[in-house]
Amino acid sequence: MGKEELLARLKQKFFDESYEDEIVPVAQEIVAQGIDVLEAIQAASEAIRQVGDAYEAGELFLPDLMIAGEKMKRCMDIFRPHLKAGAGEAKGGKVVLGTVSGDIHDIGKNLVGTMLTVGGYELIDLGVDVPPLEFVTTARDKGADVLALSALMTASLPYQQEVIQLLKETGLREKVFVIVGGGPVTAEFAQRIGADGWAENAAGALKLVDRILAGGGKPAQTFVAIG
Amino acid sequence: MPVDRERLLTVLERAHTGPVCETYEWDTRVIPGTLRSILRKYELEKTCDPANPINMNDELADRFFQAGLEAAEQIGLLCTDTHRIIKFSREELLEGLEAAPAEFTVGENGQEVTFKHRGLNDPTEPVWIAPLSIAVTEEVFVPLVEGIAREEVVDCIEGPSLETVYGHKVRAGSPFELMVGKYQAELNYEALRRAGRLGMPMYVVGTSPTHYGVLGGYGIPGGFKPGRDIVLLLSPVEMKTTYELLHRLVQVYNCGDGLVYGGSWSMIGGYAGGPEGATLSCIACTILLYTAYQAVNGASFPYDLKYMGNCGRKALWALSMVFQTLSRNTHICANSVLNQTAGPVTDMLLYESAVGMMTLAVSGATSCTGTRTAGGRFTNYITPLEVRFAGEVFKRCAGMSRERANEIANQLLPRYEDRLMEKPAGKSFLECYDLKTLQPSDEWRKLYETIKEECIKAGLPLA
Repeated sequence: MGKEELLARLKQKFFDESYEDEIVPVAQEIVAQGIDVLEAIQAASEAIRQVGDAYEAGELFLPDLMIAGEKMKRCMDIFRPHLKAGAGEAKGGKVVLGTVSGDIHDIGKNLVGTMLTVGGYELIDLGVDVPPLEFVTTARDKGADVLALSALMTASLPYQQEVIQLLKETGLREKVFVIVGGGPVTAEFAQRIGADGWAENAAGALKLVDRILAGGGKPAQTFVAIG
Repeated sequence: MPVDRERLLTVLERAHTGPVCETYEWDTRVIPGTLRSILRKYELEKTCDPANPINMNDELADRFFQAGLEAAEQIGLLCTDTHRIIKFSREELLEGLEAAPAEFTVGENGQEVTFKHRGLNDPTEPVWIAPLSIAVTEEVFVPLVEGIAREEVVDCIEGPSLETVYGHKVRAGSPFELMVGKYQAELNYEALRRAGRLGMPMYVVGTSPTHYGVLGGYGIPGGFKPGRDIVLLLSPVEMKTTYELLHRLVQVYNCGDGLVYGGSWSMIGGYAGGPEGATLSCIACTILLYTAYQAVNGASFPYDLKYMGNCGRKALWALSMVFQTLSRNTHICANSVLNQTAGPVTDMLLYESAVGMMTLAVSGATSCTGTRTAGGRFTNYITPLEVRFAGEVFKRCAGMSRERANEIANQLLPRYEDRLMEKPAGKSFLECYDLKTLQPSDEWRKLYETIKEECIKAGLPLA
């Protein structure tokens, strides 16, 4: 199979009903044939953008986005070791994401996770009902650049603040950015509890992470809101 | 109607012995794949008609019910603590629906409220439960509940939610939540006493997202009362249950004479897909919840993920289809939640309420819980006046034809649908109400009167 055909096949895998792992042999074949992985990443990114457009248009839905995000993750696991130093790793930040204690809502979190994955970030999704200390220890152990905290229930909001407090008490606050979001989480609340940023929705969360990591600032110094 | 022990034990056992499924597989394959194939099988794809947001096709509603029954049977409920699927046979599902009452009464001391199954265009007055569990500060809680309970159209109390308990933040899953269960009951009693409506039935425990509120506040001395009040079991999407919910169910059983509300929702654009998928999911989920929780009231209702409300055309169509389907094919007392996006002192909040409540009234909903003012995003953004307006529309539209309702909806929707993404916050209770007299500001009252007049001109029977 030639290069163009392989890249087209890679793109098609983002739209068909195949399982996530079924994209792996295609990505492996691209590497085996010595095709520039940057071209493959561009093809995959184009496919992801089209999936996102179809979602916005109401033609595809949340599961389609999640599956496409997982496929992208599998592709990057294969392509990343073959990138020349500094090439293609447009962002490369590591984000730890989760819904805080006492809250089992995951739609918003999953949307944010997908947006960050397809946006080029390495994502560690801790799931829902995550205790404050787990966020902090994961951020420390994995060397996270950003902690992203979701909450939909009012009684779970205090835990977003508790994560920030724990980071301070463990001397980690100046090493990791903290962003917050969710239905009742306003920009004012985010600023009041000492977060670095807030976004109203999943697309905004990606812009927010882009901005705070590209801005050259340090954690706990400024506040960015993407409404 | 006490919770039946054998049925309860069957559910608890199946949460440990049913087929294994991981959440990711459930969300990305089981739910969307099954719903999609059933929509195809029953020829339900692309049936949403935004031009006529209130469904008028009875055959379509009946087809949705058959599809929903098949979806409930094929899918089941995923217990996210054990990652096992609680499955039911078709016979068990039909028996679960059959066992639910077509009529029941709650409340006491002259404040009793009777819930009755309603048909389409049914003149029977529906039940208005207010407000949704929107966060409020402690100093606002009692005056707000008193103000809402003073509204004659309000039948039962559910929210609001307390941000703090004796000045301390309520933290989900912590002992503070156990404490707030009883505290909310005490504050509600005080508010209802002041309003002269002690004995009003309550839905419990709005403040508490986990089971601790129910354990700490229901069936204990001075707390919420079995037989008079209804315990909320709100299942996470899509068709999931948790130990937290099953703990509550067991607590209702332990207290005896307990009543359960089984509720959930489905997002248009979410796991279930478009409006038809969300509709199908809601119907299937409702059948499952009445079976698994032995619910006397409740249902699963659709939201639109784009604006997190259900007062736009697609969501209204889905709402109307879900409740018409349940009305025509079961005898349950189905309840919806209406989710407005705009806040107090905005025309949009009243227009959203007018169209949404009318839709539910003509589509056979027995009851509705609301208002979810400003989408529940801001602390203290809820007032008695929009609760009054929504309740007036809900009750006075009972008996209206769906054709007439569509005409009115198509007049009123253009006044707000372009602003659904803007979600104007409006003003807080403290900014537009006098806390001593519990009267709205002139600005808010005049706006209410103006929009009510506009709605009357459009044909709503509010005169």
